Amino acid sequence: MNGTDIHVSALVTDAFGGFGGIAQYNRDFLTALAQTNCVERITVLPRLGDIPIETLPTKLRQHPAAGNKLAYALNAFAALGPIGRVDTIFCGHIHMMPIAAPLARLSGASLWLQIHGIEAWERPSRLLQWSVRQANLVTAVSRHTRRRFLSWAGIAPEKVKVLPNTIHEKFSSGPKSANLLDRYDLHGSKVLLTVSRLAASERYKGHDRVIEALPLVLAVCPQMRYLIAGDGDDRPRLEELTKRHGVTDKVVFAGHVPEDELVDHFRLADVFVMPSLGEGFGIVFLQAAACGLNVIAGNLDGSVDALADGRLGRLIDPLDEDALAEAIIIALSEKNLQSAEVVDRFSPGRFGLEVKGLLRHVV
Amino acid sequence: MCGINGIFAYHYAANPVDRSELLRTRDHMAARGPDGKGEWIANDGRVGFGHRRLAIIDLTDGGAQPMASDDGSLIITFNGEIYNYRELRQDLEAEGHVFRSNSDTEVLLHLYAVKGEAMVHELRGMFAFAIWNNKRGEVFLARDPYGIKPLYYADDGWTLRFASSVKALMAGGRISTDPEPAGWVGFYLFGSVPEPFTTYREVRALPAGATLLVDAQGPQMPHRYFSIAAICAQSDGELATSYKVHNAQKQTRAALIDSVRAHLVADVPVGAFLSAGIDSGALVGLMRDVGQEDVTTVTLAFDEFEGQHDDEAPIAAEVAHHFGTRHHRRLVTEREFQDDLPLILEAMDQPSIDGLNSWFVSKAARELGLKVAISGLGGDELFGGYPSFSDIPRWHRLLAVPSRMPFLGEAARWAITAGRTFWPGLNPKSAGLIKYGGSFAGGYLLRRGLFMPWELEMVMDPAMARDGLQRLEPLHHIRQALDPMPQSSFAKVATLEASLYMRNQLLRDTDWASMAHSLEVRVPLVDSHLLVTLNAARRAAGGLDGKTILAMSPAKSLPDTVIHRLKTGFTTPIATWLQRDKRAERWKKRSSLTSSYCPWARRWAYSVGAA
Repeated sequence: MNGTDIHVSALVTDAFGGFGGIAQYNRDFLTALAQTNCVERITVLPRLGDIPIETLPTKLRQHPAAGNKLAYALNAFAALGPIGRVDTIFCGHIHMMPIAAPLARLSGASLWLQIHGIEAWERPSRLLQWSVRQANLVTAVSRHTRRRFLSWAGIAPEKVKVLPNTIHEKFSSGPKSANLLDRYDLHGSKVLLTVSRLAASERYKGHDRVIEALPLVLAVCPQMRYLIAGDGDDRPRLEELTKRHGVTDKVVFAGHVPEDELVDHFRLADVFVMPSLGEGFGIVFLQAAACGLNVIAGNLDGSVDALADGRLGRLIDPLDEDALAEAIIIALSEKNLQSAEVVDRFSPGRFGLEVKGLLRHVV
Repeated sequence: MCGINGIFAYHYAANPVDRSELLRTRDHMAARGPDGKGEWIANDGRVGFGHRRLAIIDLTDGGAQPMASDDGSLIITFNGEIYNYRELRQDLEAEGHVFRSNSDTEVLLHLYAVKGEAMVHELRGMFAFAIWNNKRGEVFLARDPYGIKPLYYADDGWTLRFASSVKALMAGGRISTDPEPAGWVGFYLFGSVPEPFTTYREVRALPAGATLLVDAQGPQMPHRYFSIAAICAQSDGELATSYKVHNAQKQTRAALIDSVRAHLVADVPVGAFLSAGIDSGALVGLMRDVGQEDVTTVTLAFDEFEGQHDDEAPIAAEVAHHFGTRHHRRLVTEREFQDDLPLILEAMDQPSIDGLNSWFVSKAARELGLKVAISGLGGDELFGGYPSFSDIPRWHRLLAVPSRMPFLGEAARWAITAGRTFWPGLNPKSAGLIKYGGSFAGGYLLRRGLFMPWELEMVMDPAMARDGLQRLEPLHHIRQALDPMPQSSFAKVATLEASLYMRNQLLRDTDWASMAHSLEVRVPLVDSHLLVTLNAARRAAGGLDGKTILAMSPAKSLPDTVIHRLKTGFTTPIATWLQRDKRAERWKKRSSLTSSYCPWARRWAYSVGAA
């Protein structure tokens, strides 16, 4: 390896053919890596996901998903021989480090760990702590995740960098879809939106707090409606909550939103709110802001990065109900003009340059 | 000597430099530099430097900072003194460099342009600086070999901030206040916060003798360019053979003269702190030897000590008379101490159990109109003046075998801890003798330890104490100072004392206490050039008492009363005053500290930590 023909092996949960935020992040990352001149070959070993339908970047080969953890570990070690020389191992999830760290040792490769959100915030098992210490470079999706990770990880802080999510061009402002206005009966309404899974394990997202703040907001903006996009096992409880607060007719549960309707759902709304306590970064805030929405987020987690310390939206104490109501009322009455800055600040071009710069440090 | 700071928004997602934050941090250091202030922010807003100036070399505006190179591609903010700047300048001028000012700052800019990061090897002095290289889009930070000048930085993953003091960094308001358990554990173990840790997790000290490069991907790992251990290990070997025993005295004197001469470079008068000890007295004598005619000296005096052995003032006056200095005896009263205590705690950058005498002697020097004073700090580390030089090797000899026997150390610790119930006067550290005494690192922990690791829960939250011990790894931390390992016992202890106690305690205390009074303290016995020469000479000198060599070094030797005076240690009545001061009474809330046998330093540490 002379610095111009780097071979990368990527251990990821899912990437091409996968769903959700981490798969998207991995696709963005691997695409940026493939566009880097000094990278000659990338081998992706996903644990989950379907066979990709999209065209993969040149230089990149993705193995079939392995299924369970044991099979995945065996496959990863077995693949080492056929892959040949590996210069850098990219580990896309902290839970895969017990496989990635020994692989890096065996192959003499440098080890690059990517961390996302709450899974990297608290001190994990001793095995994970050991494997994390083997990393040559750790990239965190936000400053908050980096700070929480460094609170327990025995690794030099200089080795831990921030590589935020990136935003794609399809997220842009545009007219409200008549079809969706009809579907949800939102003609003439100011629309407040939250997009996320409604999982009981992810109650930190803060739907409860928004619903509880609605009576205060409605007193000032009676024409407002709250659109909750996303589905999950927590939905019945949230529906019950709207009844308890007497706002059932003001809240619309849109259910799962297919990918091709996502942008139109953002455009349907005026304000995006998610007073979360547990965002690694919160790509959804960028998507909303890029679509021209005013954005409200909590100031206690990675959301602070997505909103660039408040430059791209309002940061509030997510546990302060009055502050939340006040922020919603102000945001509903204001026009948003920030989408260009969002797209520019977190553009794939800047993301790609950063990946290239980081690669220089890890190889 | 000044205060420096800067902000580098290196990450593409970071917001540009906030000027008000830059100035908040800078102006928190107003006392470090009362003679001038400056700021510079790049046109694109991605990087900004601040500077507070205490003008000592080139008093004109020519020395103002931050300073740019002629073509504007390099910007520097610099704290400290480069003692060999005239020689460096001559060399650079010979190569065609043209200078606009007479400052040492400008020499650094030209030197960096020629040598890049390797410039640090050319420098003799005390320094901490940052250079912005516009062509490369990098900030280069450097700190002097011994860590005389402080430099702290905080990286949040988007933006790097640096400053001469931790409190100034925090005054900017953008840095996480999460505590660093390792910093707090270090403070309670050693009495000062061990670098690179601070009491805040996000703030780190750039290690002494290290440089740091920050590019678009943030800070790289600090690069160590100087190590006391490496010098001592080297002079244990081949260098020593070049010296003859009878030569040692001559070599030592020449090296001391050379260092003192270098440390007198200034465009303002240079005074000296004078105690009854050999170190400061010898330095004053050497100042006269190199031709300084008018020397102002200052000594602290306390009414409580009048007529006692602890009173340093009469002997200091004798030394002053001996060398013909303009001498001042400054009386410190309990009343003044009580008035100053809140200011002291405010000026104390990181928690420390010492520095109070530095505060008053600096205050006294400044009252005399001095801007620069010479201090004998470092003499004990260089010439073996501490009890640790005999204790640690003796423990090592006696306890090396028992300390390796399984469970014996733990059993002894348990037995002695239990035994203290019946014999409360027993030193609490004795419980660790077998556990730690068998190695140099362990012996050092015992000798310098304030609390033992198992006692931390007396003063700290237990979970934080455990976390801090895990992060600091005290014995590993001490052992790192001995890499590479010097051979002789003397060199091992000298390396430990200079790399840990002097660096983290003495030099830090001297810095905050003197800077609070806008006084620059210079330390000719803390000098990398001197260390190299002296290690070789001392090795050759065999069993000769090191301090005697120092005492005999001035052309006119120190009076016998000084040479034969017993060392008194911490000779101020401050311990007594502290125990009487209401604001230092927080320790009374901890039952474990109220026993009449509890060392006062432990109580003071708790009061400082809780302040």
